[in-house]
Amino acid sequence: MKAENPRQIGARVQRFEDTRLLSGAARYIDDIRLPNTLHLSFVRAQVAHGRILEIDTFGLEDIGYPTWVFTGEDIGNLSMKAHQDYPEMQYSEQPLLARDVVRFVGEPVAAVLAEDPYRAEDAAELVFVDYDPLPVVGTMDQARDASIPPIFEGWKNSMFVERQMKGGDLEAARAQAAHVIRRTYRNQRQAGVPMECRGVVAHYTPGDRMLTVWSSTQMPHLVRTYIAEELDLPEARIRVIAPDVGGGFGIKGQVFGEEVLVAWLAIKTGRPVKWIEDRREHLVASLHARDHEHTLEAYVSDDGRLLGLWADISVDVGAYSTFPFTAAGDPGMAAKVMPGPYDFQAYEATFRGFATNKCPIGTYRGVARPSAVFSQERLMDDIAREIGMDPIAFRLRNVIREFPYKNVLGFTYDPGSYAESLEKIRDVLADDIAAAEASKSSATTRTGVGIACFVEQTAHGTPDFTRRRVPIETGYISARVEMQPDGTVVIGLGLQSHGQGLETTMAQVAADALGVLPETIFVRHGDTLTSPYSMGTWGSRGGPLGGGAVHMASMQIAEKLKVLAAHEMQADKDAITLYGGRAYVTDNPDRFVEIRTLARHALRNVENLPEGMIPGLEAEFSLDGPRDGTYANAVHAAVVEIDVPTGKMKLKRFVVVEDCGTILNPLVVDGQVRGGVVQGIGSALFEHFVYDAECQPLTTSFADYLMPQAPEIPDIEVHHIETPTPLTPLGAKGLGEGGAIGPAAAIANAVSNALDVEVSETPLKASAIWHLSAHLRGEA
Amino acid sequence: MTMTETTLTVNGQTRTLDVEPRRLLADVIRQEFDIAGVHIGCAHGACGCCTVHIDGTPRLSCLTFAVQCDGRDIKTVESLGGFDATHVLQLAFKSEHGLQCGYCTPGFLMTLVPYVEENVARGTLPSDEDIREAMSGNICRCTGYHGIVAAVRKAIGDQIGGGQ
Ligand code: FES
Ligand code: FES
Repeated sequence: MKAENPRQIGARVQRFEDTRLLSGAARYIDDIRLPNTLHLSFVRAQVAHGRILEIDTFGLEDIGYPTWVFTGEDIGNLSMKAHQDYPEMQYSEQPLLARDVVRFVGEPVAAVLAEDPYRAEDAAELVFVDYDPLPVVGTMDQARDASIPPIFEGWKNSMFVERQMKGGDLEAARAQAAHVIRRTYRNQRQAGVPMECRGVVAHYTPGDRMLTVWSSTQMPHLVRTYIAEELDLPEARIRVIAPDVGGGFGIKGQVFGEEVLVAWLAIKTGRPVKWIEDRREHLVASLHARDHEHTLEAYVSDDGRLLGLWADISVDVGAYSTFPFTAAGDPGMAAKVMPGPYDFQAYEATFRGFATNKCPIGTYRGVARPSAVFSQERLMDDIAREIGMDPIAFRLRNVIREFPYKNVLGFTYDPGSYAESLEKIRDVLADDIAAAEASKSSATTRTGVGIACFVEQTAHGTPDFTRRRVPIETGYISARVEMQPDGTVVIGLGLQSHGQGLETTMAQVAADALGVLPETIFVRHGDTLTSPYSMGTWGSRGGPLGGGAVHMASMQIAEKLKVLAAHEMQADKDAITLYGGRAYVTDNPDRFVEIRTLARHALRNVENLPEGMIPGLEAEFSLDGPRDGTYANAVHAAVVEIDVPTGKMKLKRFVVVEDCGTILNPLVVDGQVRGGVVQGIGSALFEHFVYDAECQPLTTSFADYLMPQAPEIPDIEVHHIETPTPLTPLGAKGLGEGGAIGPAAAIANAVSNALDVEVSETPLKASAIWHLSAHLRGEA
Repeated sequence: MTMTETTLTVNGQTRTLDVEPRRLLADVIRQEFDIAGVHIGCAHGACGCCTVHIDGTPRLSCLTFAVQCDGRDIKTVESLGGFDATHVLQLAFKSEHGLQCGYCTPGFLMTLVPYVEENVARGTLPSDEDIREAMSGNICRCTGYHGIVAAVRKAIGDQIGGGQ
């Protein structure tokens, strides 16, 4: 009789890492404490653009305790290089400590070390830097102005990159169009803001000639490779460890100059060196995000069919190109994803990344997609309004329905549930839509409903990076699975978990393959010494590729266990099932052998192995993504209520219908979606990194840089549709970023719906709502 | 630098230390007592990550100097449910997914434990709005607060009966 064996994949398993995180036993970067440590404090640029005339360290001479100071002159040519090798990209480097010129407020100019962190800070304050100011490139308009010199010498203009993408016949689309709708949309500069700032500890031990670097990073192997190449050290003698990491969201998915510098300082001084970033440093000088401006022109037929799209995409990428996704990352991604979930076959985009005297921007949850979807989905509503169609009906008319679908840029979309998601959200929101309609006659309280429909390319494989010649180069994830003699399992995972719950979900995946309990599986990650080489955790690939790699490696061990069990029970290998810690004969569960007995035989009592079988129970698998990735999809909806006399807005409801294929753990999936959505709500309503005309940062603390807090946020409703993809081993698509992609568009559309106005930019702070509702107060 | 003799009791461990007056309570707990469950998220009083109990009341240890706490009784997250995290609110955080990266978590727990206790003593299940207000001084960047609200609701509801 066959047994019912419930699977771990898909079960709502509570997270194993939680006990450590809840009890105070977790160890984050600042908890790494080594004897004899030197603490590093940076002297950072206080002007946005200037030539360094002098660095005066005179004040340190009689400070009364030992200090060490390093400037750009001491470090040779060490720098961060993040270039994409094609003619449309201009070359730049960022020295680890500024040489000659500083290009944004917060750029590291000198490194000051002392034996106590308070004293290091005191000492850094005694270092004076004299600058000769240079003209500031403060905005994209100034960057376009040929009379203002670019911030890099020898550049022909102020663009890191200017490139085009096209597909189909846009001229024909334009000629056929009954409606031409052109709009410009803008998303503000913001920051990702993990609650734990960055930090690095490095220690060189001469005995084993080993450099160990602890860093609050999402990509330890890439940090190791960059350090090895830049410092010319054998990679085998470098170990990079990401301890518990207090949030990343893409911000820590870069290799930072500070990581390389701290490693160099540890070698140079012969002592452990530790740098813990403070919040002001993090806000002004880690990494910013968004800051997009898109002009779109849509060509639409008489009967509401989208025929083609023209796009002009500009991004203010700040002063430097960041590694490994570069200054072309955000603008290129926006151009690539702009066609979205809609069926049309004519497209032309120009994208540009402008160099300005601001903190560099880089990958933050969604990477350009929140901005692209904002523009795309605002445009869909603006078109619907202009041609007099219902916005959901207009989307349903244009959404892709047949799969696989080859989009206008040649990317193949795997099956999804675009139309079903739209229909589902229409049902869920029926009452709100009616209420919004009814409120149209009110001069005081308006309700609005807005949606955003999108796809997210996740888990894309190496060809996608090769095409763009981006220095990340590849995106595979590896896992090594080892069963121990007692039947417990260790997974060396090339991902790094900083809140995603991988210690649980990866154990679930292996548990199903091996027939053991997930509690007996220990997932080790974030340490280059215990994990096979991998690209780290970013790009919504942990579930589909990390899970896939763990599954494939585990299946190899399962296969060996079955051969062994068949040998011991005199049965056919294909008639063996692994479940509940037993290998049993599928039709007769009473005939079994314990898996831990098989493990003992495979690793200790190898005299029991069948003729020719090699001892051991371990396997490694590297899984690259499908060529074009796998496309997750979702519809987000916001319901807002606006008090017209005061301009006060309340976010009443936020609903998500999402499809990430196979769900590994619904607890974790819902958590990722909700967390992402609230970050997206922050982008829509609150978060804005502001510079003045001289590019001095104005939002340098949590008193000025406002993030969502609990009272402002409604419960986030999440509905699932599961369309497993044939392109990954478990059918999973990526989902970590999706939550953050839709909210800005959905909320802006809700405001537009409530006030019957077009909304063209974020953030929608109270003052913006006040202005947008002026006409209803008879002020416009 | 002048030092001030200061006696602190942290999680039941009493020590007398010579402390520079400018040292933050958070730093002294972390360095001198080797306790890692106090996290710094901003060091300017805006995120609640560093919340500890001083004589039973939640306080921000980044806005408190250690010398101000002479003779006080200080508790950190380690005091709640030990390494197995067995406090009812810790268990509810786990079952309701009230944490992801865990960095903000000790601060939320220390802020909310007295709130849970007060409501249990009163025998009332507060509204979600009230629960959200109770955590308005803490920032979580990962969870979107949903699971934290659910955890508080569950911890109170389970104890007073008739919850959820
Ligand atoms: S660290 Fe104390 S409130 Fe933020
Ligand atoms: S769990 Fe990461 S900040 Fe709250």
